[in-house]
Amino acid sequence: MSLSGAAAIVGAAEAVEIGYPEEPITSLQLHIEAIKAVSDQTGIPISDIEGVFSTGWSSELAEHLGIHPKYIDTTSVGGCSFEMHVHHALLAVYAGVIDVALVSHGQNGWSARRIGGGGRRGGDPTAPATQMSMSYGFSGAPSNYSHAMVSHNHKFGTTPEDFAHVAVVTREWATLNPRAVMHSKETHEFGGPITLDDVNNSRIISWPLTLLHCCLVTDHGGAVLIAKPEIAKSLKTTPVWIAGAAENMSHSNMLEMDDFTATSAYTSGKAAYEMAGLGADDMELALLYDSFTLTAAITAEMLGLAPRGEGYKLWKEGHAAPGGRLPINTNGGGLSFNHSGMYGMHLLIEAYRQLSGTAEDGVNGIAGKQTNARTCVVNGTGGSLSTTGTLVLLAD
Amino acid sequence: MQYNKPIPKPSPLTQPFWDGAKEGKLMLPKCADCERVHWYPRHICPFCHSMDIEWIEGSGEGRIYNYAIQNRAFGGWAEEAPFVTAYIDLDEGDRMVTVLRGVDASDPTSIKIGSRVKVEFEQASDEIHIPFFRVMEESA
Repeated sequence: MSLSGAAAIVGAAEAVEIGYPEEPITSLQLHIEAIKAVSDQTGIPISDIEGVFSTGWSSELAEHLGIHPKYIDTTSVGGCSFEMHVHHALLAVYAGVIDVALVSHGQNGWSARRIGGGGRRGGDPTAPATQMSMSYGFSGAPSNYSHAMVSHNHKFGTTPEDFAHVAVVTREWATLNPRAVMHSKETHEFGGPITLDDVNNSRIISWPLTLLHCCLVTDHGGAVLIAKPEIAKSLKTTPVWIAGAAENMSHSNMLEMDDFTATSAYTSGKAAYEMAGLGADDMELALLYDSFTLTAAITAEMLGLAPRGEGYKLWKEGHAAPGGRLPINTNGGGLSFNHSGMYGMHLLIEAYRQLSGTAEDGVNGIAGKQTNARTCVVNGTGGSLSTTGTLVLLAD
Repeated sequence: MQYNKPIPKPSPLTQPFWDGAKEGKLMLPKCADCERVHWYPRHICPFCHSMDIEWIEGSGEGRIYNYAIQNRAFGGWAEEAPFVTAYIDLDEGDRMVTVLRGVDASDPTSIKIGSRVKVEFEQASDEIHIPFFRVMEESA
């Protein structure tokens, strides 16, 4: 048996309440609700889970669940960690160490403002890279990613307005997803369709990034189960095969990023395609981490979905939109669906739903975002365009 | 006025840099084997993995690789917003991050990538002088 396809994602589920809940939720609750839901969905008892993969929580989670996993992975290198977890789980299943793996996420990015949590750990203040960058007033992700926008504009002659198309199209997808925070005026006072002018004229956060170039900050919990083929084929759910998986990094601190317009998704993408025996042209769906408009657009370039410097055109020319030739971020993305801080799990859930034909589950059969895609490239980006995990997934 | 922004805490690895900064010198780590300057300070050369690192006094000059505006910030920096963060390609090699002095944050496109800059230090405490960079007149 080859590594490609040695395991499948057999189910994917979310916490009961996501987005901006009225009552604050803890990260632990978000985890557990999602785990219970994916166990019910697949029929795999929680007691059958042999490997636990999450961002730093794995031992607490396993203890809370009352299980004793024989493979414990706490990889936590930003929002792409969950794509890496799938990579690691595939390897562990292929090696015969485990038959069933849980990848779990719970992060109360929104509720943390009231009850604490949030899942971000501070760096070591004595680390040399921290000493040499902490004095300059950076205030979170937007203050770093704005630099990447400036570089892209300078190098390729693009404009922030070009990237605004990403926000507009992604919002269009959100209007088809009732679970999306920005689905409509019913879900959020600023929900529903937006225009280029809305993006360009929204509040400036870190020039040249305005508010609508930036992702949401919400609560989200999600879990996927991964199993070896014999199990995957025996379940009531439809498997989605892990045909390619790879990870890479170019830096941790942006200080060490050589080219602000290029990420390691080029390398992880190439390796994932190679494992799958497929290429960018074979992809019928793309789920690209969109912490910011430019994150998704640059990633599209890195994954060969668009020429260098022209990633934004996938959105501008409508290819990424509903009905387009390459749907991208069909859930409404981190920009308009949900973004808890580490968005990688959201990508996995939507990829599973799309490829298993269940993209409408839990939303009362409302038509819209389900595509006919049979192949999907998923790319998570963590840190400050630092770390990447790429998956090539195939429908059964 | 009391300096009210984050102040780094030196470690043995970085102490020579902060010692130099107190005297207005931009000290840079340089590999004695491959002779390349790297930034930030490391225990091992990131290029050739020699552990024979020495410190040299840099020229304090370089060019703007990249910049952006911080329109919002926290703590002491909030009072200064908007301000301009920048990455500087040093003449000796490798790149530092900084806040640019003497530029107009309200007119972002007036700042030019590639402009020549020179270091200056601001005293933050008895022990810590923080490097900032200023665009040099002749590059305007």
